[in-house]
This record gives sequence, structure tokens and C-alpha cells, in this order.
Amino acid sequence: MWNFFPRDFVFIIREMFKRKRECKKLKGMLSPYIDGQLSPSEVKRVERHIEECNACRRELESLRAVVSLLHRVPMVALPRSFTIAARAPRRRPVALRALRVATAVTVLLLAFVVTGVALNFIGAGPAEDKALRQENAATYTPAGREALEAPDASDVQPEALNASESTWPVRSVELALIGVVVVLGGTTVILWQKRRRGEGLKRP
Amino acid sequence: MSDRMCPMEEEELIKLSKRGDLDCFNQLVERYQQQVYNLCLRMLDNTHDAEDVTQIAFISAFKGIDRFKGGNFRAWLFRIAANACRDQLRLLRRRPTSSLDALPLDLELEDRRAISPEQYAMNQELGEHIRRALAALPADQRLAIILRDIMGLDYEEIAQATASSLGTVKSRISRGRARLREHLKQYVELFP
Repeated sequence: MWNFFPRDFVFIIREMFKRKRECKKLKGMLSPYIDGQLSPSEVKRVERHIEECNACRRELESLRAVVSLLHRVPMVALPRSFTIAARAPRRRPVALRALRVATAVTVLLLAFVVTGVALNFIGAGPAEDKALRQENAATYTPAGREALEAPDASDVQPEALNASESTWPVRSVELALIGVVVVLGGTTVILWQKRRRGEGLKRP
Repeated sequence: MSDRMCPMEEEELIKLSKRGDLDCFNQLVERYQQQVYNLCLRMLDNTHDAEDVTQIAFISAFKGIDRFKGGNFRAWLFRIAANACRDQLRLLRRRPTSSLDALPLDLELEDRRAISPEQYAMNQELGEHIRRALAALPADQRLAIILRDIMGLDYEEIAQATASSLGTVKSRISRGRARLREHLKQYVELFP
């Protein structure tokens, strides 16, 4: 079938396709060619091709024009210096830190006392627990133990009961601790707010 | 302020900066601040953002100078600046701003006195087109084009500054220039 075509015509068609393929391959090489980033063999290949191919030659020229335009983009003068200023050492907010620690310690203490009372680790609860407290006192104070060991357990010495009640004025301790927490916490919050507002003003 | 007023070698300045000497680092800043600012300006196309990002880049560089393990310091700085620009661009995509802060791009002329007012106006118009064409490029291609054609870095340095391979750099520059050519078609014919 191919015998019907003249040999030159087949050759021309084949060359045309070959050149098209080469154009596609070389397109990505034109930019590195401008920058001198190709190997000697690649340079030869590009130069051989652009001698024959008008389209690729035009493309190379237009790329060169773009590059020369970009070379004319000037370096802009600095609006200011970007050197870094040494920051003055910040005053450590010792008072605030101490207040925070003191508040935390008092809160913990309060929590300990409240939990102790709730679980009966610490005596002297409300008046309705009196019977229970009497029993505790009888068990845990030496006078109470003696009374228990005595033939009649109902003859417990009243001093022994009073001794345990007078050691822990829990309600007063709780109230005092709550007061301290409120005062310390309030002062901490006020100082913290003041400091934040002060920092906000210093920000550029 | 230290009494080290004579210019020092870059390696020495880097070594002292690693020990926390801010004066030495500031000497490095003075050497490279114009290039870093121009990179940020062309990447962000906005003077205010460029100023902020340049400052952020230098502060990050000082904080992270221990991570610089030798090699090309300029490429390392450009890498930090490029990353800061990328972060800023990401932020701007979420919170777009007007381009009122864009600086007009006046192209350099060989002899400003020898040209006519028409040519001068044309030059300004072309500068504006280049600025817009650059801003329209994808960030990676824009970075590669700025580093190569405006800052004059070689491919090796660009590869270091962008943390990519030489092949990637070649392809980004090639595609970037092709896109720019499309944007500037009418002017490319006028300025062969």
C-alpha cells in the first residue's frame, strides 16, 4: 500500500512528526538554555533544533525578552532598618506570683479541711453529731479509753469529751480560710488585670 | 552596643550569633535586609506585609540560627523568608485585603533623561503589568522567578532556598517564564 506514495512524501511526513516531537521535548529546555544550565550535548541539540524550527526560535526569543524585562525590575530601597533591638529584661512579677502561690495553698488547705470534716477525719462537726463525737472521743482519747475499759462505760469523764471538742474549732477555721481565699484571690485577679491592661498599651 | 565596628567574615558573624551575640547577627541583617525585603515585597505585593514578614523572618532566623549547619547563609535566610511569605499568603487567602499597599513597579531605565514622556508612561504601564503578572503566578513559580530573574541567584542556590531538587527548580522557572510570557505578550513584542 505504501508503494503508492512517493518516497519523498513519506520522508517529509516522518520528519514533520519527528520535529513536532522534538519541539515538545525541547520546550522545557529553552529556559535552562537561556540560563546556561544545559550540558554541552543538550546545548548542541537545542541549537541544532532552533536553526531549523522557526516556532521554537520565536519562543526562545520571546522568553529572552521576558527575562530581560524581569532583569529591569529594580531593587526597592528599604523603608526602615530590620535590625533586631535588644529587649530590656522584663521585671519579674514577683508579687503576683507570690499571691498566686499563696491563694493556691490556701485553697488547698480549705479543701483539705472541708474534706476532713465531711469524712470525719477532723472532729467537732455540727451539734447533731454529738453522740458520734462522744463515741470517737471515748475511743481515741486516753481518758475515754480508760472510761471504756472501766466496768461501767456510761461513766465517761466529761473532761475527756470536752477535750476533743475544744481542740478543733473547725467552723471558724473554715470561715477564716474562705476569707483569706477571697482576699488573696481578689487581689491576684485585680493585679493580673492591671498587668494585662499595661501590656496591651505597650504593644505597637 | 559592642565595639566591633570593623566588618567581620560571615562565618565569624554566624558563629558569634549562634552564641547569642545580637550585634553580630544585626551585622548579618544589615548585609541581607534589602534582598530579604525585596523578596518579601515581590512575593506579597504589599509594602506593609513585606515589612512585617521581613522582620518576622529575621527574628525567626536569630531564634533558629543554631539549626544553620553551614553552607549558603543567604539561601538559608531566603528559605526562612519564603516560608514566612507562604504563611502570610495563606493568612491573606483566608482574610483577603485590598491591594492599596501595592508598590508601583518602576522598571529601571538605562538613561532616564533620554526618553520621551510617552516612553516613560509606557515604561510605568509595563512595570504595572509585570507586577500584576508576577502576583498572578502560583507561589512556587513566583518564588523561583523572583530568586532567579530579579535577585539573580543560581539554580543551586534556588534549590537550597526552596528546599527542592534542581529538576523542580528548572521546571518551576520554565513554567513561570512561559506564564509570564502569556501575560506580557503585547509588551514582549515591543521589547525584544
